[in-house]
Amino acid sequence: MMTLDRIPGGTRVKLKSLEACPHGLARRLMEMGLVPGEEVEVVSNIRGPVIIRVRGVVLALGRGIARRILVE
Amino acid sequence: MEIGVKKLVIAVAGNPNVGKSTLFNALTGEKVHVANWPGVTVERKEGGIRFGEYELKFVDLPGIYSLSANSLEEIIAREYIVSGEPDAVLVLVDSTAPERTMYLALQVLELTGRVVIALTKSDRTHTMGIHIHVDKMEEKLGVPVVAISALQGLGLRELLERLVEVAEGKKGRRIPVRVDYGALEPFIREVEEVIRASGMLRRYDSRWAAIRLLEGDPRLAELAEKEGREEQLKHILMLREAVKRSIGKLPEDLAVEARYRFLDGTMKDLVIRVERRESRLIKALDRVYLNPVASPIVSILLIFLVFFVAFSVNLGFPLDVILNSLGMTEAAEAVSEFSLSGLMEKGFAVLCEGVSSLAVAAGAPSWFVSLLTDGVITGVGAVLSFLPLIVLVYALLALLEDSGLAPRIAVAFDGFFRRFGFPGRVLFPIVISLGCNVPAVVATRTIEDEEERMISILAVPFIPCQARLVVLLGISAAIFRSSLAQAASVLSIYLAAFLVFLASGIILRVLLFKRREVSELVLELPPIHKPSAKVVWWLTWDNSKHFLRKAGVIILTLSVVTWFLLNTGPNGMMVDLEESYAAIIGRALAPLGHLYQIEGENAWKVMFALIHGFIAKEAVLEAIALLSPEAGGISEAVQALGLTSMQAYSLLLFATLYVPCLATVAVVLQEARRARYALLLVAYMFAIALLISLAAYWLAVLLL
Repeated sequence: MMTLDRIPGGTRVKLKSLEACPHGLARRLMEMGLVPGEEVEVVSNIRGPVIIRVRGVVLALGRGIARRILVE
Repeated sequence: MEIGVKKLVIAVAGNPNVGKSTLFNALTGEKVHVANWPGVTVERKEGGIRFGEYELKFVDLPGIYSLSANSLEEIIAREYIVSGEPDAVLVLVDSTAPERTMYLALQVLELTGRVVIALTKSDRTHTMGIHIHVDKMEEKLGVPVVAISALQGLGLRELLERLVEVAEGKKGRRIPVRVDYGALEPFIREVEEVIRASGMLRRYDSRWAAIRLLEGDPRLAELAEKEGREEQLKHILMLREAVKRSIGKLPEDLAVEARYRFLDGTMKDLVIRVERRESRLIKALDRVYLNPVASPIVSILLIFLVFFVAFSVNLGFPLDVILNSLGMTEAAEAVSEFSLSGLMEKGFAVLCEGVSSLAVAAGAPSWFVSLLTDGVITGVGAVLSFLPLIVLVYALLALLEDSGLAPRIAVAFDGFFRRFGFPGRVLFPIVISLGCNVPAVVATRTIEDEEERMISILAVPFIPCQARLVVLLGISAAIFRSSLAQAASVLSIYLAAFLVFLASGIILRVLLFKRREVSELVLELPPIHKPSAKVVWWLTWDNSKHFLRKAGVIILTLSVVTWFLLNTGPNGMMVDLEESYAAIIGRALAPLGHLYQIEGENAWKVMFALIHGFIAKEAVLEAIALLSPEAGGISEAVQALGLTSMQAYSLLLFATLYVPCLATVAVVLQEARRARYALLLVAYMFAIALLISLAAYWLAVLLL
C-alpha cells in the first residue's frame, strides 16, 4: 500500500482512499476534488508539505494528511 | 425608494480565490456595507447598484468550497440561499480551474434553479490554454453562463442582464439540477418518501433534503429535530447504516463521487485544455517557491526587504537604528525627522499650537484648550499617523497576495509555526509586528481558518513593536553601564517575547477552543501571476478604510478618556499630576510594585508610567520624565526612580509584555469582532507579564 507522502515529485498517481483521514477532513478534501479514482500529480515532495495538482488546482497538504491518503 | 424602481436581491457565492471580492468591487464600487451575519461573527458584505429600472442588492456569501454544512460559513451560505430573500444566486466559477470550482455551482444548482454562473478570470484562460464552450454549458446546465473579467470589465453588463432575467423568472431552471446518485438512488427515494409523508423541512426541496440527510448533514438533522422529527430521523439513520452495509461506503463519500462524476460527464466536451508554456519568470518563481530550502530563504529576504522599506519610510525605523549604530547620527536623525510619522507629528504640533492660541484668544477655559489639543487633536493625530504605515503595509501585502507569492511563503514556514498552532501565514503579522502591532493584527485577515486567525490575533501583540524598542533602549541605557549589558538585556527580552508568542499559540488554543491537537495544512496555491494594480488598490483601500472607520473611532474615544484620567481628579479639572485619577489608579496599583520590592513613592510612579504605556508604549518614557521635572533628560529621570538593575530589567520585561497599547486593543476589537476577546487579550497579557517578570526578578534575587 502506497501513501501520498512517499510519492516523489513529478509523478502521477491515482487516489485510492481517504479512509484513514478523520471524517471531517476527508469530506473537506473530497469536496476540494480529492475523490477516490481521481488522478493526482505530485508537483513537489521533498520536505514539509506535499504539493499536488488535482482538477486543475494546486494544493499544499501537510505531511500528516498526505500520510493518511492511499494512492496507487 | 423611487417610484418605478424594482429591488432585486442577488446572493453571490464562490470558492476562496475565485475572484469574488474583485467582482464585488467591480460591480458595487464604493457603496459597500459591512456587518455581521445575524447571531454570528462572520462578516456580511452588501453592496448595491442601479441597473436600468432595477436596484440590485448584492449580498456576498462567505468564501466556501461546498454547501455541506462542514463549517459555520457553509451553513450561513446555504440558509441564506433557501431563506427566500435572494431573488437569484450568482455563483462564481474560476475559468482557470473549472473542473474543481464547478462543484460548488453544482451544489447550488441542486438547491435552486434561479442561478447565474459567472466564469471569472476569463481574460487569463487564453494564455493558460483553456477554452470553455459557454453556449453549450448554458444548454447543458439550463441556466445562464457568462464569461467575465472583473478586472477588465468584460461581460459585466451581460452578467447584470442575465441576473435580472433570472431574478424575474424569465430565465433559469424551474426545477433544480438532478444528479444521478447511482447506487444511492433507492435510498434517496425512500428518505424522500419519509420527508414527503411527514411534511418535514418544508423550506427545502424534498429530494435535496433527502440526499443531505442521507449524507448525515448535521445542520439539517438539527433543524429536523427542532421540528420534533425524532422518529423520521431514526428511520433515516437506519437507512444510512443500510447504505454502509450494502455498498460498503459512507453515503457522503458516494454522494461527492457522484457529483464529481456528474460534473465530469457534463463538462467533458465543454472544457478544452491545451498545454501552454508558462513565462520564464513565472516558471523560475514556481521552482524557487517549491524548493524546501530556497523558498524560506528567498521568502524571508523578500519580506524583510519589503517591510524594511515600509517602516523606514513611515517611521524612520529601522533605518535610523542602523545608521546610528554605524555612527551616522545626523543621517539617522534626518531619516526619522523626515519619515512620514515624523512629519505628521510636527504638523500636529503646529496645529495644536495654533488651535490653542486661537482658543485662548477667544477666551476658552484652559481645561477646554487642553482637552481640544491634548485629547482630541492628539487623538486624531494618533489615528492619522498610523494611516500611511497601514496603507503601505496593506499595499505590500496585497501585492504578495495577488501575485500568488503569499500562500507559497506561508507554505514554506508552515512546518515551523504549525507546531505551535499557527498557520504559516502568521509570518506576515509577526514581521509587521516588529514595526507596529496595529497593522499586524489586520494582516491576519488572510488567514483562512477562523480559529487559527483568532489565535494569531491574540498572540501577535506579544511581538515587541518599535515603540517598545524605544522604551527598552531608553531605560536600559539609563540603568546598565556597559553596552554589552544593555544589548544583552534588550536581546533577551526580545527572545522572551518571541517565546511567549509561540507558547501562546498552544495556550490560547487549549484555552479558547479546548483542542489539544493542531490542525494540519490544507492550502490552495493559486497560480503565480503579475499582480493587478486595481486589485492591489482595492485590497489596500478596503483595509485602510476599515481601519479608519472602526479603529479610528475607538482610538479617538480612548484618547479623550485618557485625557480625563490624566487631567481631572476628585478636586476638579486641570489638577496637579499627583492628584489626577491616573495618579490615584497608580497609587491603587502600587502594591504591584511592592512585589518587585519597589517601595515608597517610586512604586506608584512606576505604575503611573505603565498606565501611560497603555496609550502608546513610548509614553512610558514621557511619563517618567513628567514625574521628575527637575531631571535633565530621560536617563536622569529613570535613575531618579532609584531602581536596582534587576528591578529595572524585570520592569522592562513587564513593560514589553503587559498590555497592548490602546490602538492595538481597538484593532483587535475590530478584527475579532468580539468584545470578550479584546478583554481576554488584556487580561491574558497582563497575567503573563506579571508571571514572567516576577519569576525573573525573584530568581535573580534568590540566585545572585
